[in-house]
Amino acid sequence: MLDTVPAAERAAADGRPRLARAAPFVVAALAAMALWVAPLFLDTFAVNVLTRSMIYAVLAVTVDLLWGFAGILTFGQAAFFGVGAYAAAMILGTYGATPLGFSAAVATALAAPALLGAAVGWLSFYHRSTPLYASVISLVVPIVVTQLIYSGGEWTGSSSGLVGFDVLPFEIEGFFRLAALFLIAVTLAAWILVRADAGRALVALRDNEARCAYLGLNPRRLQILLTTALAGVAGLAGFLFANASGVVAPENAGFLFGTELVIWVALGGRGTLLGPVLGTVAIDYLAANLSGDLPFLWQLLLGTAFVAIIILLPGGLADLVRRLWGVLPVGRPQGAVPRLVAQAPGSAAAAPDAPALRVEGLAKSYGSLTVLENIDLEIRAGELVSLVGPNGAGKTTLMRCLSDGTEPFRGAIAIGGVPTRGLTPNRIVGLGVGRKFQVASVFESLSVADCLRLARAPHDGLNPVGQDATLGLPQAALDVLRMTGLDRLLAQPTRLLSHGQKQALELAMVVALEPRLILLDEPTAGLTKAERTTIGAVLKALTAELGIAAVLVEHDLDFVRQISSRIVVLHQGRLVLDGTVEEVVGSELVRTIYAGGVHA
Amino acid sequence: MLLILDILTTAAILFVVAIGLLAIFGVLKIINFAHGAWLTIGAYCAVVTAKLGLNPWAALPLAFLVGAALGGLAERFIIRPLYRRPLDAILATWGLGIVVGQLITLGFGRDVQLTPNLLPGTVAVLGVDYSAYRLVALGIALVIGALFALTIERTRLGLSARAVIMNATLARSLGIDTTRVRLVVFMIGAGLAALAGVLLTPLTSVDPNMGVSWLIGAFMLVMVADASFLALAAACLVFGAAQVLISTFVSPILGSIAVAVLAALVLRVSPKGFSRA
Repeated sequence: MLDTVPAAERAAADGRPRLARAAPFVVAALAAMALWVAPLFLDTFAVNVLTRSMIYAVLAVTVDLLWGFAGILTFGQAAFFGVGAYAAAMILGTYGATPLGFSAAVATALAAPALLGAAVGWLSFYHRSTPLYASVISLVVPIVVTQLIYSGGEWTGSSSGLVGFDVLPFEIEGFFRLAALFLIAVTLAAWILVRADAGRALVALRDNEARCAYLGLNPRRLQILLTTALAGVAGLAGFLFANASGVVAPENAGFLFGTELVIWVALGGRGTLLGPVLGTVAIDYLAANLSGDLPFLWQLLLGTAFVAIIILLPGGLADLVRRLWGVLPVGRPQGAVPRLVAQAPGSAAAAPDAPALRVEGLAKSYGSLTVLENIDLEIRAGELVSLVGPNGAGKTTLMRCLSDGTEPFRGAIAIGGVPTRGLTPNRIVGLGVGRKFQVASVFESLSVADCLRLARAPHDGLNPVGQDATLGLPQAALDVLRMTGLDRLLAQPTRLLSHGQKQALELAMVVALEPRLILLDEPTAGLTKAERTTIGAVLKALTAELGIAAVLVEHDLDFVRQISSRIVVLHQGRLVLDGTVEEVVGSELVRTIYAGGVHA
Repeated sequence: MLLILDILTTAAILFVVAIGLLAIFGVLKIINFAHGAWLTIGAYCAVVTAKLGLNPWAALPLAFLVGAALGGLAERFIIRPLYRRPLDAILATWGLGIVVGQLITLGFGRDVQLTPNLLPGTVAVLGVDYSAYRLVALGIALVIGALFALTIERTRLGLSARAVIMNATLARSLGIDTTRVRLVVFMIGAGLAALAGVLLTPLTSVDPNMGVSWLIGAFMLVMVADASFLALAAACLVFGAAQVLISTFVSPILGSIAVAVLAALVLRVSPKGFSRA
């Protein structure tokens, strides 16, 4: 049992969450009360405009979750909004203001956009898809939806849209209050999500999708789920819009509206929640007031402000406020630090009969360039096999083939007896493989504790509504943290860590996966002598005591000699030597390959 | 026959509209969403030329110069700070497009402008009467394509640009002034966009937002072409043909979204698009 959090901090960590957990609800309740009475003090015009603004703000929250938090720049929320609005208008137009009509309208306004969202998500996100491609698709969707509306004839009212359908029996104040409650509910849910541990997964996706996959999380599924859910929310906003305004038009689903949503979020402050909400309400309200008098000038000002904000202040106005706040001498709340606890090993007893890794006849070429040729290799539990060879020998390519079954290669690779061909990295991680990259791959905007928690997510899941007070890690991962001093830096954002600390953190994350086979690509590159010794000790302990198999790519032959149980030499894509440390280090061949001899 | 001419000229027009965007995307790795605004700028150069009573063809060099000059300013002050943030560059250039559109509205009003036809009348081609202008546009597209290819293959700028495309860091360490290459390429791309704007005037109405409708098509073509100039030509032919055929035989509305939808599907199947072939 390791408990390194000082008592004072722990007290703070225990005491703070109660207050912090209640804060969103208190704010939401106050906002709801204020908005409930607001229509009594506002004129009809303001009530009408603000109702629309608040519905748009719901959309802004969804754009912000996708773009500001998960890093998916989307113009498509307008399309889902439009589909929801049209679904509501069409159904209410047909069935009228009956209970059946309303329930069918709500259900369809939720389900149709969500279905479309799932399809769009499936199209946008696949293994090796790029963020740009998702944005491209999100541009095409509103264009297609708009054209379908135009070609819908009487059904969709074509270019003039639909009017005169029955709506919910509310006065304008009623719609104002409904929109306000909906906005508060959505914002509150989003707030709880992004503060919870599960919200970290969104940021992790934005920071480093590859690392997510190599932690065994399925980035694709997360992105599709998020797209689907938020499409449903946008559809509900569309339902509300159709009822409150009594009109739906093709522009509501259009690409231009999609870009406007992005502009509002950018100005308000992506990556914060209140920024986009307040930004949208303020801009839309101002637009309604000003665009009558000076329509072009208003657009011009908005466009100029948008360009300036994107270039000079990517965090939007919310960032400006935060910076000003930071200047004030108020105590900055430190993120709550979870307490580290040792986790009993999960499925430690692995099937020992199959070798941890078996490679047969592996070959890979890029066009006419052969990078790997006829590699046969077998690694059993508890072995620490070092892969050495000069630059360009194919070591990193081999590691890539081992950890990603979708790489085009010939031959066969099996992990614990399971062939990996065609498996994406996250599924190979599910077979019990952990991979550490050559350049430390962590989540730059998360804290050390959050990175470690994500590494445990495939085993323990993530708390979707709150922050767990404890963080359970396997003893081996705790040892890595303790030896490298990271256990005292849990609240530290990883971008502030040194190079060596990042390497250690990534190793701890990989170890926290409880892998049976660990792939390490130059884990000691750029480390100090002391750090290297620490990592060497960790690796020896992992393999000797826990029976993990390890493959290590390494240039430092002294280091290799000290810790390996076996050494494999790659040269020009071929496996030229596979033997014990003495055999390989003493061999003439190795000296010839590393011309001049490392050990002469 | 009519169909074939339609396909060829449609492809030519798509090519002319997209080539400026391609040049910028290829070298700067930035998607210039202000491209539509530059098309509009070019078209208004034709309007100005007509108001001044000049020969309509004089609008072509004028538009290229104006487009390039304004492009230079945009590169210096808006694009350059965003090289490391390509998604933000999309947004900033989109914002720039809004600003340009509003400035044009303030200057010229929001109404549709009339421009003199560059070349009225029809010609008989293999038994069909066909718009003379569309045929000339086809010729101009070929000329622009040839000049573009020559610039890339045969000039010092083209060599530098290719070096920057392949490896900007290495190019810089070899003493190529990548900042200048990017500036010049952006100016050329913006100039070509304005030039295309002039060429569009006989085919479409001229108003402050005319560029936006062309932007998405050009953008999708460039995505599919992935910075390869020949792939762009191929993509224009294939998608232009699809657009014409779907518009003729199925529905004009579906035809208008054919390029975007097909390009999105092609990219899903083969992320490098046409450039691999």
